[in-house]
Amino acid sequence: MNWIKQMFSRRRLYDDLSEEIQEHLDEKIEELVASGMSRKEAAAAARREFGNLTLVQEDSRAVWKWPSLEEFLMDVRFGARTLRKSSAFTAIAVLTLALGIGANTAIFSLVNGILLVSLPYPKAERLVSVTGAYPQGALVAMREQMHTMDVAAYAEGHDFNLTGRGEALRLTGTLVSAELFSILGAHPELGRILDQGEDAPGQDGYVILSHALWQQRFGSDATMIGRSIELEGVSRQVIGVMPADFRFPSTKTQIWIPLHNDPRSIFHYWAGDFMPVIGRLCPDATLQQARAEIRMFQSHASALFPWPMPASWNAGVSVVPLQNGMVADVRVRLLLLLAAVALILLIACTNVANLILSRAATREKEVAIRSAMGAGRQRILRQLLTVSLLLASLGGLLGLVFAMEGLSLLKTLLPADTPRLMDVRMDWRVLVFTGGLAILTGLVVGLAPALQISRAALTESLKSAGRGAASSVSQRLRGGLVVGEIALAVLLVIAAGLMIRSFWALSHVNPGFRSEHVLTARITPNESFCNDAIRCLTFYRNVLDQLQSLPGVSGAAFVNTLPLGGRVSKRSLEVEGYVDPSGGTAPLFWLNIVTPGYFRVMGIPLLSGRGFSDADVSGTPVAVVTAETARRFWPNQNAMGKHIRLLDDKTWRTIVGVISDVRAYDLQRNSPRWIDGTAYVPYNPTATLEDRRVPSEMTIAIRTASDDSQIAAMLRDSVAALNHEVPVSEVRTMGAVVSEAVSAPASTTSLFVAFAGLALLLGIIGIYGVLSFLVSQRTREIGVRIALGAQRADVLYLVMKEGARFSFAGIAVGLTGAFLATRLMSSELYDVSPLDPLTYLGVALVMAAVTSLACYVPTRRAMRVDPIVALRYE
Amino acid sequence: MKNREQRDLFPGALEMMILRTLKRQPLHGYALVQHIKRTSNDLLQIEEGSLYPALQRLLKEELVKAEWAVSSTNRRVRIYKLTAAGAKHLQRQVSSFERMLEGITRVLARGES
Repeated sequence: MNWIKQMFSRRRLYDDLSEEIQEHLDEKIEELVASGMSRKEAAAAARREFGNLTLVQEDSRAVWKWPSLEEFLMDVRFGARTLRKSSAFTAIAVLTLALGIGANTAIFSLVNGILLVSLPYPKAERLVSVTGAYPQGALVAMREQMHTMDVAAYAEGHDFNLTGRGEALRLTGTLVSAELFSILGAHPELGRILDQGEDAPGQDGYVILSHALWQQRFGSDATMIGRSIELEGVSRQVIGVMPADFRFPSTKTQIWIPLHNDPRSIFHYWAGDFMPVIGRLCPDATLQQARAEIRMFQSHASALFPWPMPASWNAGVSVVPLQNGMVADVRVRLLLLLAAVALILLIACTNVANLILSRAATREKEVAIRSAMGAGRQRILRQLLTVSLLLASLGGLLGLVFAMEGLSLLKTLLPADTPRLMDVRMDWRVLVFTGGLAILTGLVVGLAPALQISRAALTESLKSAGRGAASSVSQRLRGGLVVGEIALAVLLVIAAGLMIRSFWALSHVNPGFRSEHVLTARITPNESFCNDAIRCLTFYRNVLDQLQSLPGVSGAAFVNTLPLGGRVSKRSLEVEGYVDPSGGTAPLFWLNIVTPGYFRVMGIPLLSGRGFSDADVSGTPVAVVTAETARRFWPNQNAMGKHIRLLDDKTWRTIVGVISDVRAYDLQRNSPRWIDGTAYVPYNPTATLEDRRVPSEMTIAIRTASDDSQIAAMLRDSVAALNHEVPVSEVRTMGAVVSEAVSAPASTTSLFVAFAGLALLLGIIGIYGVLSFLVSQRTREIGVRIALGAQRADVLYLVMKEGARFSFAGIAVGLTGAFLATRLMSSELYDVSPLDPLTYLGVALVMAAVTSLACYVPTRRAMRVDPIVALRYE
Repeated sequence: MKNREQRDLFPGALEMMILRTLKRQPLHGYALVQHIKRTSNDLLQIEEGSLYPALQRLLKEELVKAEWAVSSTNRRVRIYKLTAAGAKHLQRQVSSFERMLEGITRVLARGES
């Protein structure tokens, strides 16, 4: 059988069939008439004998076609026609679904791009990350001893001055071991990557540029390869340019500099950067083998150090896939968002299902007629489902448009340091997800109403002419849907409420300093410039002198690590009379090196004693500690007058002041967990960091009275006048520093609030719709009641009671759900219990108020029912 | 809908009867159904319409072919003829039906004794 020919000749086949059947009936009638029947009776008898005419024709035609596909197309045409006819219904349903599907698609794009899509490196599944951090010495040992994987380390956050080419520029660099690029399998856009051994002293005078830097600073000049540039006063040869899409470890990196693995500089080698380590599994090694080997390595790694290491150091070290390691921080947040949008889609589905059910009341008769005409139940079911699938497909298409808009909005809303955010795009996986979601949505939305309608008793429906009374089952179903919808909305609003409470708590944390009217900037001479500590100190002294004479500056001071600035300066300290209970090692402090006046400029309150004065710079060695540190090392004693000493320093420092705690690490913690205390010392030649040098990277804090931008310009001018090789970077107000510290919770919170608002809106529409329908159904009953003397208050009570039933049930279910579900988000909450009673109570009250409002409009309509009009309808 | 399955006796029975009738002589639809009804002494309650889907199936499988013609009563009718394939098909169907019937009869006979 040639099916193509068949398809084209089908028209004729059908015509033949109709004519043939008509002839059949005519012949029968003729015969019956001839046997003495009246023509009218004969026609009826012929039809009776023949059976279901429509069905016979349909069955006969069905022989010639691919039934499912063609029926489907027919259903689609029919569905499209119905939807076009009721454009308001269609618009609301499609829009609702589009919002739900769009939100899900946008968030799924994030989840997909960040958590699912494999890293953009060849055989990325073989890439792993070691969960501990290791200094150079341990890395070199690991590199030699590990057989299951090749390892490389990197240290982010090393900035370099680029000088000798116009204005001095501060570049963000990442120190890398020579194998990093080859392990990742990354190829340069230009030039070459590092070769093995090119991180050893004497062989490491190289630099690799990022595409962006090469383009902006060097005008995409291909002859840069092989040329030297001046970084921190050191000449380095440019050997390569990485392509624009190479963003390891993050987008911030502008240059990659080889590590300088020099065993002779003991402190750098064993106590410099504790670096994250990545690796590539060897061809026949497994993750388990690598884990076993790293544990083996760890068991003797501590012994390699020239000093005892605490037993807890990297104790639980393991090896995880690199992708998991990179995105661990955002995983929970993303999954929470996905859960939230999934709830929204559920609410949207419920709403649309309800809409369809409302329409079902009017369609019940149509369906009854169709089944009376011989349509099978399955056929009707399929046809009803097609309509909802059509709605969902339209919703999905519109949702894709929403998602594209939403995704670009999300990219700007989310913190810029979200890993892999730049890589997020809508790929085939997202499209498959959206398509699947739309189909699923269509089925979910359509199935319940379709089953409901197609089951409807035929004769019942036909009898209740025109009124289309919905059966009680459908009424119950609609009620259940509304309850579910309100419950979901309650759940989301509670989640958002908790986020808001947490965010409020976080942004009202007392950071321990006053951020208003403080302008900050990094002023960073070359490291070599500070080889001479006095020269370095004098330079900073001069900057301060220049600044303090400017109008609008009420004070200025330098600090090596700005609170919330993202940098920690660690230094082992001896505390007089303190012995570490767990054994041996000197406590690790966060050492702040500041110029006199710092506490006043930053508005950090002194709890006892004094801050630093100019006399302290050259006088007897002194220090200031924070309240938390004082409590920890001198519990129930006065810390004043006690002594501490920088490790390997000759003289003890006397504690002359205790300041209140400063949220320096983030807004939730004063310092990272591995830091034991926080101390401040005045900036002088004895104030050295771990590398036994005075800091050459200082941040200035300026308390201003006037326009910040003017001060910033004056600052640049003063520094350039003093030394044109010193760049001024990261110029920002302290307020901006603080708000950056809350940007991640801020974006999550605002997303949750948006989602909760959406859920609330959909929930209100839902309960309003159901109640309106209820009132219109019971207009006659209400009319009768009023005619019999019911007062307005009675009617009010009657309708509101219905609404309140839904709303209270929904709120109760929602509260229970929240009680069970919100603990999942406890890691994202600060200073708020996931079971915060205030939030629960508040949300319950708000929901009750809002749903009552939604009930009120239909109720008022019911109260206005004119009994005469209502009864006349009959 | 429900009675259609009862009416069909067993799948293929109606087709077999149509083919058998057409083997004797080409007929148009109405005559065909009257003939089947008459020869079965009206024992088989066939809805006249049910003939047409069956005829379409046979047409599709090219077991019969149809041609428009004018009948003796001066009526435009579509005459169905058995094709060679149809004749062969009928033979196969009848023999397998006879085997089946024989089997059923034996079982029924044994059950009685």
